[in-house]
Amino acid sequence: MNGLSALPDWFALRWENARPRSRLVIGALVVGLIGLVGLTPKSFFGVPLAWPYVGLIAAVGWGRSGLGFGPMVFLLLFGFAQDASQAPWGSHGLANLLTYGFSAMVTQMADTERTPLLSFALPVVTLFFGITLVWLTASISSGHLVRITPMLTAYFATLVVHMLISPLFDLRARRAGGGVSA
Amino acid sequence: MPRSSGKGYRQRPLRRYGFFIAIAGLLALLLLQTSPRLSEGVEPIRTAASDQLFHVTRPSLIDRISGASAKERRILELEARVRELAQYKALALTMAERLEVYEEILNMQGEPGGAEVTARIMAETDGPFAEALLANAGATNGVQEGYYAENDRGLVGRVVQVGNRSSRILKVTDFNSRVPVMGESSGLRAIMFGGRDASGRLTDLPEKGQFLPNERILTSGEGGMFPRGVVVGHVRGETDEEVRVELSMLSGQLSYVRLKPTITISPPEDFPIETEVAELGEDDGS
Repeated sequence: MNGLSALPDWFALRWENARPRSRLVIGALVVGLIGLVGLTPKSFFGVPLAWPYVGLIAAVGWGRSGLGFGPMVFLLLFGFAQDASQAPWGSHGLANLLTYGFSAMVTQMADTERTPLLSFALPVVTLFFGITLVWLTASISSGHLVRITPMLTAYFATLVVHMLISPLFDLRARRAGGGVSA
Repeated sequence: MPRSSGKGYRQRPLRRYGFFIAIAGLLALLLLQTSPRLSEGVEPIRTAASDQLFHVTRPSLIDRISGASAKERRILELEARVRELAQYKALALTMAERLEVYEEILNMQGEPGGAEVTARIMAETDGPFAEALLANAGATNGVQEGYYAENDRGLVGRVVQVGNRSSRILKVTDFNSRVPVMGESSGLRAIMFGGRDASGRLTDLPEKGQFLPNERILTSGEGGMFPRGVVVGHVRGETDEEVRVELSMLSGQLSYVRLKPTITISPPEDFPIETEVAELGEDDGS
């Protein structure tokens, strides 16, 4: 029993000690896995499920650690993978990258670590920004305003999933004193 | 405390340049695709990606985890149904033989048949860009662009892209889908496109006459994209501006679809009877 209860602590410790590059790769694998499952028909006991834009979750999380080439490359690749379904090439990549840049900019401008309200509001706003970008590119490329309801359901699904898996996209190295550095 | 004056942000101009270059590159890529010629050039990449996705995607992971017992029950139901249908099959075969004899007696010209394929839906996109399905049958199975897809209830869509082992079906619920339809009872013609609430909308309505409430909507066969008489749905409601159609395919399952060719009958001028004309000319000359 003790062994089982110690497992989360063991994982947390391993995660804190992991290097940013390892975290980046693990985060990318999580995005790939969720994205692949999302390509299949999705229903739960006959109820259709809204699937999250997990690339945007990665963009928001990675953006909080500042700009970096590794996350940018992964976000571009995720974007192209999302475009393979039917979207014009580059549209999801653009949304992912702009969300990433927006997240990085807001984090740099405000001290989100010490302001709990801000740390809560940042993903809400940045994810909404990303979803709006997807909606805009879809509307522009298809020549008409696309439906808002599915985008809103996807947004809320993305927010919920973000709350669950956002620590996996934290690339900041932990300091001995408990602080973080980009 | 604001950190806009943080050194880290200013110390990474290269990353910022990289970011803006990537954004500019993606914008350029999007703009380039507005050219139809370039857009055609990148479509094979999308087809190749679909072919590859066919290998990695599986029907439904969640279904596999959660619906095992329900599926077993469903299998038992279906087996019972198959036994029942076997009797009808025997009857149908007997009647088909009899019909063949009658047609021969009457010298009836039937429509030429085409290769039909039943395909499993491996992936679906119901995102903002398009509502499409990815089926696991492609050119190697005889599927061609322009085939139409239907499930057990009615019309699902049309094949718009074909790879070697997969094909993409544009659903009739997509905004850009256009299906020439007619009312079964009223005989009125219209064009149906995908609505915003997963229903169909009729446009190009006739000036005279109205679709009847709950009337069945079938394909009219005009334009040669779809054959005549495929069930699309039924009229759900009518306002001054538009008529809504409740799509039949939504009440059925979308795991499997039947891909069928649209048989187009060529006009007589495409196949002139040259030999007979030539013979007639010779006869006149003599």
